[in-house]
Amino acid sequence: MNYTNCGNFKTSYIKDAAIFQTKFSLIMIYSFIVLTFIFPFFANTYYLYLCNTIFIAIIGAAGLNILTGFTGLISLGHGAFIGVGAYAAAYIFNNTDLNFLIVIPLAGLVTAAVGMFFGIPSLRLKGLYLSIATLAAQFILQFFFVRAEFITGGVSGAFVNFPSVFGVSINSDFSFYFVGLIFTIIMLLAAKNLIRTKTGRIFLSIRDNYIAAEAMGVNVFKYKIISFGISSFYAGVAGALWLFYLTIITPEHFTIGVSIQYLSMVIIGGLGSLLGSIFGAVFITLLPEFLRFAADNLSQIYPAVTSAFAAIREGAFGIVIILFLLLEPEGLAKRWNLIKAYWKLWPYSH
Amino acid sequence: MKRLLLVIVMLAIFSGAVFAEPIKIGALFDLTGGTADVGKPYAEGVRDCVRWFNEEKNGIDGRQIELLGVDYAYKIPQAIAAYKNFMRQDVVAVHGWGTGDTEALTKFVSRDKIPYFSASYSEHLTDPDKAPYNFLVGATYSDQARIALKYIKENSEEDTAAFIYNDSGFGRSPFFPDAENYAKKIGVDVVDTEIVGLKALDATSQLLNMQKKNPAYALIQETYMATSTILKDAQKLDLDTKFIGLNWTFGKTLIELAGEAANGFYGTNSFAMWNQTDVEGIKFLHELNAKYHPDVKYRAVNYVQGFSSMYVLLSALEKTEGELTGENIKAALESMKNFSTMGLTAPVSFSKDSHKGVTALKLYQIQNGEIKSVSDYISAD
Repeated sequence: MNYTNCGNFKTSYIKDAAIFQTKFSLIMIYSFIVLTFIFPFFANTYYLYLCNTIFIAIIGAAGLNILTGFTGLISLGHGAFIGVGAYAAAYIFNNTDLNFLIVIPLAGLVTAAVGMFFGIPSLRLKGLYLSIATLAAQFILQFFFVRAEFITGGVSGAFVNFPSVFGVSINSDFSFYFVGLIFTIIMLLAAKNLIRTKTGRIFLSIRDNYIAAEAMGVNVFKYKIISFGISSFYAGVAGALWLFYLTIITPEHFTIGVSIQYLSMVIIGGLGSLLGSIFGAVFITLLPEFLRFAADNLSQIYPAVTSAFAAIREGAFGIVIILFLLLEPEGLAKRWNLIKAYWKLWPYSH
Repeated sequence: MKRLLLVIVMLAIFSGAVFAEPIKIGALFDLTGGTADVGKPYAEGVRDCVRWFNEEKNGIDGRQIELLGVDYAYKIPQAIAAYKNFMRQDVVAVHGWGTGDTEALTKFVSRDKIPYFSASYSEHLTDPDKAPYNFLVGATYSDQARIALKYIKENSEEDTAAFIYNDSGFGRSPFFPDAENYAKKIGVDVVDTEIVGLKALDATSQLLNMQKKNPAYALIQETYMATSTILKDAQKLDLDTKFIGLNWTFGKTLIELAGEAANGFYGTNSFAMWNQTDVEGIKFLHELNAKYHPDVKYRAVNYVQGFSSMYVLLSALEKTEGELTGENIKAALESMKNFSTMGLTAPVSFSKDSHKGVTALKLYQIQNGEIKSVSDYISAD
């Protein structure tokens, strides 16, 4: 079972550095991955759609978590960076013969460059001030999306055809599912390992105390910019996937609301936890669907108050988030760990 | 036991014959989002039309219509989720709402071959090459702007105009490049463009700017709120410019918001108004409302919009030959020529080359707090 010895009995560095400490957790994660690959063969389009949006949200939230959770820099412009990725992908895909699997990381690189540019103020600005500076990035980029018609197609948006890989057209929820899943796994693995490297540890040190980090010889500015770059790369990949899923992108997709949604994913899931990004993405994507489902069903039983239910639904969204922050301030990831700890000792919890 | 089984089997067969499967139609409504003020009456119009077909006309070929209405709160991801949910439930057609979500769904709709009506009158949704399954009932924003320009050309001594819009897809869509090009073509000078936000409470600086260029007319693409701000500020500044608003600026709500300042304001509107009781369709809607909603005395023009749009869609289903597949419905729609909506709009025509249902509209003016039509149907060319 999932027991680890009390005390440190590891005999090699490899064992010490392993992500999954026990065979049991390794088996669990592999079987979970296998299950996710089998799932689409049994699911209908609606559930596949939910999964696909969750994949995109996970990648975006993981990126924001690297910036906000691990490096401690607040960003209110994540939605716009996702937009940059989407438009960059559309532009590259329409103007070259590259396969979309190559276009996606390229779009990520473009977004990383843009993100690093908007990260420059982070040298002098901290906390709230930085969040306002990134908010400016949000509005500047949104303005750019509307005006730069030669790149973005302006208000009517950017179109691409359904992409294809090895002769298979990615034109359905079913086929996109696999693309999304594989990208999610790669991006999460990369993020997990990034946190374990020197760079990742420097991020943590900047978050915890940037003065101490600087005193230890860390070039804080350089690593803040790197953090912006990596986080924007993730946003770019998420945006590019979003484009190839929808095949049309308009400026209305990347409003301030999207930025706030990603921020709430990171906070509800758990700051500084990749597992938290996953939980947060799943939660924020499913909550409106769940509330809509509940409101639609309730209003069929009590048709006279249809509009009241619609309004209650909007309020419920807010209340759920407030309750979360009150009762579980460290996010869903923390709750998950508590549940795991409970079962570890069960039934002899004392 | 055997007899019981026989009874059950007979019942099953019998009920199957009598209660044919309902026809499912998906609908996206905005009841709580950014455009809920016009979205709510629109949704009621759509619902009443379905109810009328079900109760009075016994559905379509004896099959009841089931409307799967979803409030998507004007959010694109929720619209896509709702659409996927419709597909799961095998709808034959969808009635959508806003510009952003309709555009986001265009590719899916074409792939799934689902006829898709929307309340967004953006012109690029009407090109059958790019959006083969999208249809509009109502003149496009670009056509509305063209018709307004044509009216200016014919009725004003000075051929100068300004554009006032909000800086979004919805706001820019009629003017750039369509109305701009058309103005050049017919010889109307566009002397100024001004941006006023949808929720603006002050437009003085923009109007002062515009005053320097002194255009004879200004076209407005906003919703009620910004329009009332513009009209009130224009009255304050005593401007000579006359204002023509596109369809979402115009209605009784504007009179309530702007009061006196609304007098003299023109609106382009392809739908009949509630007080035009000489129109057959309006008379019919009065009767229908007296029966379904006895306490409702007034309906916004958006109700008429929703009703007529659904009416065209359901009539196309009635005309469809063979099974109700997307392709057959599309063929039925494309064969609609001068279809009468009981006068609620100009006659509706679709063809293989154009999915603009209506290309003609009337200009209306607010005179002493009353909405009066000031022109006959003018068509955009």
